[in-house]
Amino acid sequence: MKKILNAPSAYVDETLAGLCAAYPSSYKLAGARVLARAGGPVPGKVGIVTGGGSGHLPVFLGYVGEGLLDACAVGNVFAGPRVADCVAAFQAADGGAGVLALYGNYGGDRMNFEMAIEELASDTFKCSTVRVADDVASATAAERDKRRGVAGMVFAFKIAGACAAAGGSLAEVTAAAQKAADACRTIGVALTPCTIPESGRASFEIAETEIEFGMGIHGEPGIWRGPLKSADALTDEMLGLLLPELNLAKGSSTAVLVNSLGATPHEELFIVYRRVAEVLGQRGIRIVMPLIGRYATSMEMAGMSLTLMPLDSALEGLLQAPAGCPFWKV
Amino acid sequence: MDAPRLKDAFTRWATAMDKAAPELNELDSRLGDGDLGVTLQKCAHNVRAALPVAPDSVQGILKSASQACADASGSSFGTLFASGLLAAAKWLDGRSLNRAALSELLSHAVEKLSARGGASLGDKTMIDSLHAIAQALSQAQPQDDLAAVARNAAAKAIEEFRDKPNRIGRARMFAEKSIGMDDPGMVAVLRMAESL
Repeated sequence: MKKILNAPSAYVDETLAGLCAAYPSSYKLAGARVLARAGGPVPGKVGIVTGGGSGHLPVFLGYVGEGLLDACAVGNVFAGPRVADCVAAFQAADGGAGVLALYGNYGGDRMNFEMAIEELASDTFKCSTVRVADDVASATAAERDKRRGVAGMVFAFKIAGACAAAGGSLAEVTAAAQKAADACRTIGVALTPCTIPESGRASFEIAETEIEFGMGIHGEPGIWRGPLKSADALTDEMLGLLLPELNLAKGSSTAVLVNSLGATPHEELFIVYRRVAEVLGQRGIRIVMPLIGRYATSMEMAGMSLTLMPLDSALEGLLQAPAGCPFWKV
Repeated sequence: MDAPRLKDAFTRWATAMDKAAPELNELDSRLGDGDLGVTLQKCAHNVRAALPVAPDSVQGILKSASQACADASGSSFGTLFASGLLAAAKWLDGRSLNRAALSELLSHAVEKLSARGGASLGDKTMIDSLHAIAQALSQAQPQDDLAAVARNAAAKAIEEFRDKPNRIGRARMFAEKSIGMDDPGMVAVLRMAESL
């Protein structure tokens, strides 16, 4: 393992300490493994909490910020957050108008958040849950509830965050988050694995010349494994999986995220985006506010993912509403 | 089963988890993310620290052990194990943990674990092992050694499921590959039963 760190067991806590040291006006710790807004919960605003494993920056914790999230429960690398940290995250996000738990569809995360909600149950605690399941490679469309949550979470964070910032009620923020979660679809491709600091092991094994199409962000198996293809061929295959699930008629609008899994550079992302814009342009589909960069990563994994989220005027407005965290400004 | 005996059992359990950790990590790395042994070792560490200050009742010890496991890790197995212990503690409420109650308590825990984790009987998880143990205990004769009954049932469950696919969790994605492989969670239950 070749990583810049002190002790593998300190990886997560030292990352959190560094984030708070770098951006004290944005972040503070609100529990051993809870990152929250520096200013605390916003009175009267619906709070939004998320949580999940470490190793995906800016996901999840990085998106704590104005117009985005209020608090995040942080787990070990690729492991769910503890129940106690989920509880503390809810408390750090509760401004009195209720709290939405918005996280990726993983069994461990779901259990821990559900147990936290049971622990917090009282007459005054109001909450709701939306799980993001956008990875089309992880289950068929008929089994959408089994799909994993990947880069589409960024769109769900943005839409829910904007709705909450605009004064939406818990029901409205929940509906907006659900609408975004239902709308977005993602497909990824992995070129090289990443190493989990505590185990020192690669997240998966793959030959130098091979790629895995559809692989999950923790190295979960994808759709096929084979020789590397050209950027255009890969992009076309990705769009070929995403577009049939989306109702994108001529003249419609969509958000696009071309995301690096960590090691893949911006240059390659723009080569892919060029093709996405070309294909969608040919179909008369308008792209709104394209995002190209590292938005949801797996440490040093090479690879990328493509996310589309069809937009109606309401979603488009929420997507473009001002928002800011140290990793992203809109 | 009284409080001192339960504390002793948890101490033996913790030792067994330390010992089994490398084996469980290895098994888990073939189907999952390879951290099952590490997870249970963290649980064992926290339980060992919690035992001396745990209340002097069976229910109190179960609750302390549950909290210790929940604090150890956010990984699914740790959370499920913690919620199983908590379900057992809540079920006991006032009842005494005698021979007859053991099977009923385990069946109750299986139900709660299934509801929490979403696994059903037959999915090739620790639920299948715990169910097998509960069944065997309910049929045990007065002269039988219950620890041996549990151990044998856990071992038999592993054999029975070896050639079936995993149907839930991360291992589900490797369903084909999981045929012929022992489920790491089921092996963990066997190691636990052996420590009784």
